[in-house]
Amino acid sequence: MKLLLVEDDMALARALVEALEQAGVLADHTGSGAEADFLVSTEPYDAVVLDLGLPDGDGVGWLARWREQGINLPVLVLTARGRWSDKAAGFSAGADDYLTKPFETGELLFRLRALVRRAHGHAHPVLKVGDLALDTHTGTVTRAGRPITLTAQEYRLFAYLLHAMPRIVSRTELSEHVYARDQQPDSNVIDVQISRLRRKLGAEVIETLRGQGYRVVSTGDGA
Amino acid sequence: MRRWSVAARLLAASWLLVILMLPAAGALLSWAFNASVTAAFDERLKAVLNVLTVAVRTDIDGRLDLARSIGDPRFEQVFSGWYWQVSDADGPILVSRSLWDERLPVPSSADSGATTATSVSGPRGHGLRIVRRDVQLPGYREPITLMVAGPVGELDGELAGFRRLLIVSLSGLGALLLVLPALQIRWGLAPLRQIGRHLKEVEVGRRKHLDDDLPRELGALARAMNAVLDRDRQLIERGRGAAGNLAHAIKTPLTVVKTLLAQVPAPQRERLASEVERIDEAVRHHLARASAAGTAAFAGQVHVAEALRPVTDGLARMGARRGVGLRVDIDPGLRVSVDPQDLQEVVGNLLENAMRWADTEVILRTLPSGSQVVILVEDDGPGMSEPDRRAALDRGKRLDTERSQSGLGLDIVQDLVSLYDGRLELGAAASGGLSVRVALPNRASADSG
Repeated sequence: MKLLLVEDDMALARALVEALEQAGVLADHTGSGAEADFLVSTEPYDAVVLDLGLPDGDGVGWLARWREQGINLPVLVLTARGRWSDKAAGFSAGADDYLTKPFETGELLFRLRALVRRAHGHAHPVLKVGDLALDTHTGTVTRAGRPITLTAQEYRLFAYLLHAMPRIVSRTELSEHVYARDQQPDSNVIDVQISRLRRKLGAEVIETLRGQGYRVVSTGDGA
Repeated sequence: MRRWSVAARLLAASWLLVILMLPAAGALLSWAFNASVTAAFDERLKAVLNVLTVAVRTDIDGRLDLARSIGDPRFEQVFSGWYWQVSDADGPILVSRSLWDERLPVPSSADSGATTATSVSGPRGHGLRIVRRDVQLPGYREPITLMVAGPVGELDGELAGFRRLLIVSLSGLGALLLVLPALQIRWGLAPLRQIGRHLKEVEVGRRKHLDDDLPRELGALARAMNAVLDRDRQLIERGRGAAGNLAHAIKTPLTVVKTLLAQVPAPQRERLASEVERIDEAVRHHLARASAAGTAAFAGQVHVAEALRPVTDGLARMGARRGVGLRVDIDPGLRVSVDPQDLQEVVGNLLENAMRWADTEVILRTLPSGSQVVILVEDDGPGMSEPDRRAALDRGKRLDTERSQSGLGLDIVQDLVSLYDGRLELGAAASGGLSVRVALPNRASADSG
């Protein structure tokens, strides 16, 4: 998962980015609304975490603008002002969720994962394919109940493909959503990581469609 | 005495006055009338005495006789009550025919020449009024005493008539004086009662200010009260603002600390985390109290559907993005004495929870209920078991320690609801999801009037 953190408090931003990356979430950070405005319209994020008190305008204003432009990615709003009169304005502007400071990183992750999951049309927190299961709450992958150890990069890859299932995901899309902005890999690196995933999860789980990309297919039902 | 109403005090005072004063006035009037009637009677007797004085003379033998008759036939009629008598030191010499064989008692002597009046008991036990005068007739050896008597009975009749009239008229007056002050007090105290009524309306929030279109003395009072009410509202607003600023200042660093905690080694993390939790708890608690405290008394009557519209609109949009519908069914005329922000807080938190758990739909509705406003939030999610529901309401075991049991926000709701003397209940919705019922007392309808 790749997200944009819009937060003007540098201490909080640094701590959050670290905490998110430890949890396997890629996070870009900006402290200004204008930069965020530019980034959301050019970069493919899975979600935005938006602080309301920005130096260049209220977060709600920026959010409303994005929604007007048809930018539909999930937005989670951070604010110290927990009154409902404020929240209601945020939701009206198009926020998908609201988190009141101070919050736990775990809570933020939980909500972000739920947002991304829902954005892909999955209501249930556990995504399954065959006897493989990915628990979006805990960020663990199991086969028939037994845990499988994945690196953060492998987890991001698999989670993205699984969320997108049964859609085909192109290499470009995959590299944009799974790798940090400053380390976009060549397609060879992706191939290597996919084959490592296949070794851990079973060769038939991820299908390669030449010239198009990858997709996760259901093996258990003999597809 | 302290519990007597002002009206009762005024009424008691005026009644006491009537009950004491009227009999006293009656007695005084009756005494004055008696005195003046007696004086008039004495004047009549003295007139006769003058006639008698002129009529008495000494004849050639040196004896007394009447030169002419007194003229009044009543002195001729036996025991008529009208008598005269002329006596010297040895006893009666001449008497009126009406005395027959009786004689008038001679009152103790007075100064020579003066006329005195006394009341005595005369023949046949009739009360008499007697005037006497001692004179020295030329040609008589010693001073003689002249007396004229009239029946007191005549006086008594007149007096009794007057007393009857007096009692009738004074009782009438008294009755009026007992009733009139009651009316007078009612009318006089009406503005006070109006102030009381308006204060009550301010309390339940149906009115923001007292009407100061009152008599001069009370108008000033009402205006002063209004100033106090305004100042109270300002203080609450200012307190809220300060609390909000404080929160903003503390909450962001607190979030940083919380986030950094994850990287601290386990043994220290535990202890730091519990301290951070305490700070967090304190900030939240005092913020909630500061923003909610005192609002109950001054919150206007809030139009429920209107106050909740921004919340329901916002959440409906959020729900639409998540594929959860929000059905709102609020009685359009419903009003409640709750601060609009608090109402939004309660319903907003409940709806947000419900939308997080719902599969397809959340229902917000109000139920008609006599003295209460009942708000129901239902979702069609997985619901909660009976023990879980109990635990969720138990302040001791917070359900949201198991993180993201949606943060529940239920403790805030519970705080607010209990602040307004309301009740919060969890149950099962028909669809199997959770049903939350909030009952808020509606004082306006409970004691309207």
